[in-house]
Amino acid sequence: MYSDLLQSLPAVLTFANFAAVIIGVVAGIVVGALPGLSATMAISVLVPFTFGLDPLVALGLMAGIYNGAMYGGAIPAVLLRIPGTPAAVATSFDGYPMAQKGEGGFALQVAVVSSAIGGIASAFALMLLAPPLSKVTLLFGPAEVFWVAVFGLCSIIFLLGGSVVKGLISACFGVFVSVIGSDPILGVDRYTFGKLEMLDGINIVILLVGLYALPPVIDLLETPLKTDGSASDNLGTEPIWKALPRMFGFWKTWLRGSLIGIWIGILPGAGGSMAAFMSYNEARRTSKTPETWGNGEPEGVAAAETANNADTASALIPALTLGIPGTAVAAVMLGGLLIHGLQPGPMLFRDNPDVVFGFMWQFLFGAILLIFVGGSLATNSFAKLLKLPRPLLGSVIIVLMLIGVYSINGRMFDVYLMLGFGAIGYVMDKLKFPLPPVVLGLILGAFAEENLRLALRIGRGNWGVLFQNTTSLILVAMTLAVVFGPSLKRRFFKGKKIEGEG
Amino acid sequence: MFRNLKKTALIGALIMTAGTAAAEYPEKPIEVIVGFSAGGGTDVMARTVAPFLEKYLGDGASVVVKNVPGASGQIGVTETAEADPDGYTIGTYNLPGMMARTLDREAGYDADSFTYLANVVNDPNVIVTSKASGLDTFDKLLEAAKAEPGAVTVGMSSLGGDDHFMLTKLQNLTETEFTIVPFRGSAPARTALMGGHVAMGILNISEVASFKDEINILGIAQNERSDFAPDVATFKEQGVDLINGSMRGFVAPAGLPEDVSAKLLEAFGQLASDEEFAAAMTATANPVEVVVGADFQSLNAETLDLAKTVWDETPWQ
Repeated sequence: MYSDLLQSLPAVLTFANFAAVIIGVVAGIVVGALPGLSATMAISVLVPFTFGLDPLVALGLMAGIYNGAMYGGAIPAVLLRIPGTPAAVATSFDGYPMAQKGEGGFALQVAVVSSAIGGIASAFALMLLAPPLSKVTLLFGPAEVFWVAVFGLCSIIFLLGGSVVKGLISACFGVFVSVIGSDPILGVDRYTFGKLEMLDGINIVILLVGLYALPPVIDLLETPLKTDGSASDNLGTEPIWKALPRMFGFWKTWLRGSLIGIWIGILPGAGGSMAAFMSYNEARRTSKTPETWGNGEPEGVAAAETANNADTASALIPALTLGIPGTAVAAVMLGGLLIHGLQPGPMLFRDNPDVVFGFMWQFLFGAILLIFVGGSLATNSFAKLLKLPRPLLGSVIIVLMLIGVYSINGRMFDVYLMLGFGAIGYVMDKLKFPLPPVVLGLILGAFAEENLRLALRIGRGNWGVLFQNTTSLILVAMTLAVVFGPSLKRRFFKGKKIEGEG
Repeated sequence: MFRNLKKTALIGALIMTAGTAAAEYPEKPIEVIVGFSAGGGTDVMARTVAPFLEKYLGDGASVVVKNVPGASGQIGVTETAEADPDGYTIGTYNLPGMMARTLDREAGYDADSFTYLANVVNDPNVIVTSKASGLDTFDKLLEAAKAEPGAVTVGMSSLGGDDHFMLTKLQNLTETEFTIVPFRGSAPARTALMGGHVAMGILNISEVASFKDEINILGIAQNERSDFAPDVATFKEQGVDLINGSMRGFVAPAGLPEDVSAKLLEAFGQLASDEEFAAAMTATANPVEVVVGADFQSLNAETLDLAKTVWDETPWQ
């Protein structure tokens, strides 16, 4: 199965595909660098535009953006202590103190190298794990997929940290949205209000654009960022090859951060910021000098940035093999795959090996390119981007969103729907309700319902069908661990609480 | 003087004829509404047919495909039904799906809403079983279904589609009973079959032709064997007169002007004998069966009758 991986390489090495990755990385860094704009948002704005493109060009853009944005978030986190993306929160802990000491340039170099390493590790994980796992997916019938979905739903509610109640409400909202449209088995209309446009349910891309892209843009227009810009004017940058030797001691942190990021990415529900926090905590816990952390310890930047890039490609492992995305970004990318007629599952690897393996190569190239693009160009020039007039930026993005959503089905109905979700997202954002559970609730809720009903049909009404084999039982045990694990751990070990949002 | 007048009249008449010729259909692009997203089976058919339609309509005709996806093609076909009957909007049409939709929900169209142009594709149903089930012949399958009614689970792409009608016919002809497991589309149904989660599947030949090693194909529901799988026996050969399939074609809104519909029917009719067209369709896994005009309309009426019977006997909602 790995021979397909090698055979797909030439297809990727065309000018258009390579250019797509480079453009993606650059665009991703810009989006990541601008506070409020995230990879999820950038890709959801992009997806509708990729209809007419060759699948590999479209996927290359997405892979590039994903990698770029995960690093880009570090730029304002270091220079302004404003994380560009939620996943860069942990980066600001030590990055900003470093910038204050005049080491901002070095902090960003550590960030870019660590991001690239995390991304490369993640791409390898995807390449190595997805093909064999795609064979295993034949073991996943309706009963097993039902349990994966339940596990994912419980993970997002209990692992996202913050308030379990708010997570639960967000997830329930997502599950409710998943119920809209034709019932998956009988085709009975539910909550469509007689609207033909709603028979198919709510298109995930429309929900994502509204929920994720609109609130930050409104924020952008609402609160013009005031900075004196002193930190970004004087980075104190030295060439990256001179900075590299100073980072060699970080290899353990890189390794640990990569593994944590990969693992968190594979789990449905948990995402970039959780990976970054866990990696940061672990690195500090095992450090010989924990007292320097928080006061400008470069290793802290390395820990956070490695992990938040290491969950990128690995989040696609469950997405490509089972059709169940690990993170909200992976969910949007899944939408992108479907638009191009690529159905996730074991058949994807057989029917479209060029595309699926090509996509994995693009992830790898995106991560490697990060060092060159991010290291030389971005660090200085994108820091200046933070000074762009916000109203200009916000207006451009809104126009792109409207065009993009309209172009999915060519109807205004979707635009109104998107604006409606935007309003809901804005309110949720203000009330500090987490958004990722909504998206994953929509996807996993639909999976859970459909597969439960299919399983019961297969079992001819007998619920025992849900507990019939080892795969199901393992998934049940994992679900119980997620639900009861944190409270048990707190009671017996007084363990530290994990914070953050996906 | 008189001769001049005659000449002028003649020239005038010539100009008038030229004028009507220029206004002859089609004088602007014809839009083909496809009720599914780009890349699906119906979309591929429409895009494969488009250049041949242009060729046979002649006169620099141009055909543009427009995707209006949603609700299993219902949104697109409703738009076709409601379009101006001027020949500049035609749409793809799926049987038995489009007629089944008029029974299980309030549709914005019925059998009389269309001018029936041509059916182009007939993708016959096949019965397949998972390797794990051990049911590797049609006889064994029927035996198992008779031994314990409902014990054999059948994966299919949806209720109220060609797969469902096929199963109803099978049950009626062989006095058997199966348990339907309707997946969302044929790809997940096929995957579940390969994983052994359902014992049997009803799919279309184009969907299984390249999976001969992974699943057992027990028979094909058409009169003769298919070029896509020549080694698969028909059900007729196996003693059961089971014919069913998924058909895809083209309709226009009802009330098309005579001359316009005549021109379209003639153009579609020529597809049947075009070898280049046949090759293009085979390359995209589309089994061709061209049925034009009145014949297509009666095919539709037959399907509607069958759908009504199925709906009365075993309503799927």
